Amino acid sequence: MQPVIRLDDVTKRYGSHRAVDNLTLKVPSGVVYALLGENGAGKTTTIRTLLGLVAPDEGRATVLGLDSTRQGHLVRSRVGYVAERPTLYDWMTVSEIGWFTSGFYPSGFYDRYLKLAAQYELPLKRKIKHLSKGMRAKVALSLALAHEPEVLILDEPTSGLDTLVRREFLEGMVDIAAAGRTVLLSSHQIGEVERVADRIAILHAGWLVIDEKLDTLKDEIRELNVTLAAGARPPHTLGGEILSERRHQHQWQLLVRGLDDEALAALRAAPWLQELGVRTPSLEEIFVAYLKRADEGHRPAPTAEEEAVLP
Amino acid sequence: MLFHIDPNNGLAIYEQIARQVKFAVAGGSLRSGHMVPSVRELAKELAINPNTIARAYRQLQDDGVLEAVRGTGLEVAPGALERCRQERLDLIRARLRQVLTEARQSQLDPDEIRALVEAELSLMHQEA
Repeated sequence: MQPVIRLDDVTKRYGSHRAVDNLTLKVPSGVVYALLGENGAGKTTTIRTLLGLVAPDEGRATVLGLDSTRQGHLVRSRVGYVAERPTLYDWMTVSEIGWFTSGFYPSGFYDRYLKLAAQYELPLKRKIKHLSKGMRAKVALSLALAHEPEVLILDEPTSGLDTLVRREFLEGMVDIAAAGRTVLLSSHQIGEVERVADRIAILHAGWLVIDEKLDTLKDEIRELNVTLAAGARPPHTLGGEILSERRHQHQWQLLVRGLDDEALAALRAAPWLQELGVRTPSLEEIFVAYLKRADEGHRPAPTAEEEAVLP
Repeated sequence: MLFHIDPNNGLAIYEQIARQVKFAVAGGSLRSGHMVPSVRELAKELAINPNTIARAYRQLQDDGVLEAVRGTGLEVAPGALERCRQERLDLIRARLRQVLTEARQSQLDPDEIRALVEAELSLMHQEA
C-alpha cells in the first residue's frame, strides 16, 4: 500500500545545527504512528516539514501524495493538525472560532464542529482567552477534526493536560484510528503511546534510531535477569542482540532482542548460569535502551562541514 | 464486563484483554451467548489501539472462546466455560510452579514449602 506520509532523505539545518538529519520515514495508511524522542530530537521540525511550515534543505516530504513544500496549503487543508501550543484567536468565542475556520473548508464543517464541541462539553459562548488549557486543547482538536481529515497530525497533544482531558484526547484519537484514518503523533507520554500506537519511530539528534511495529518490539525484546554461577564469567554472545546491559557482581541484567525459545533453553542449561528471570520490558525500557545506545556508539560520524564550524 | 489494562505489566496488552475475557468466562460473569463489545467500542472505552483489540478477539476466536454471529458481532461460544476453566487452571499451575521454583532456589526443602502452603491455606480459611 502507498504510504500516506513519507519523508525521503530530509535534512533541515538551523545554522550549523541539523534539526533533522537525513530522515526517511513512511507512514502506512490507517495506522497510529508515534514519533518518540527527547526534546530537540527533531519531532516538531519533522511535523512542521510535513505540513509545509518548514522548508527542508534537502530531501522531500509528501502527505497524501502532495509535496509538502510546494503544495503546503493543500496538505494543510486535507490534514487535521493540533500543535503543541495551539495558537487560537483569543478574542473569539468557542462558536465564533468554529464559524471563522469553517470559511476555509467545504460545507458541513461548522455543524460537525458544533457536534464535537458539544461532545467535549465546550462552552460555546465563552471567549477563548477565558478557557482552561484543557478546553483550549479540545477546541484545537475539534477544529482539526471538523473537516473529517484523512490524516490527523498531533504534536505533543496531551502535554500539560490533566489526566481526564488526556484520556478524552486518547479516546478521540483511538476512535479516529478505528474509523480507518491515519494518525501521526509525537509524544513524551510513553505509557500512552504504548496503548494507542501501531508503529513507533524513535528519533535522536534528528536521525532515525528505529522505525518498527510496536508488537514486533514487544514480541522480540526480553529483559533477562541473570545470576552468574560462582566464579563464572559471562559469555560474549547470547544468540540475540544485546541492547543494554548492567552488571553488578553476580547480577547481570540485559535487554536482548531476537532470542528465540531454543536460544533461551540453551541459556537455561548454560554452566555459567545459576538463575534466570525473563520478562517483557515496557516500551519505556525499550525506548531508554535504544536511546542510550544511540547516544553511545551508533551515532553517524559528523560531516566535514559540521566539523569546520566547531571551535 | 470491565477490563483493567496496564501497559507496563510485562504482558502484551492484547494478551491482557484475552486473559481477562477468559477469566470472566471461567468466573461466570460472562456466559455463553453473551455479546462482547465491538472492537471500536472497546478501543474507545479503554483508549487502546483498535488493532490490539482485534488481535485479542482473533486469539479468543482461535481458542474457541468467542465466535462470530452473522451480522451482529462476537459472542461467547458454547463450551467456552470448560475451556476457560481449564485455561485458568493452567495459568494458576504455571504461576504456582514459578513460586515453587523460587522457594526451591531459596533453599527451602519440600516439607518446609508444604508447611508454608498449609499455613497460608488455613489462614485464608479463617479469614473467610
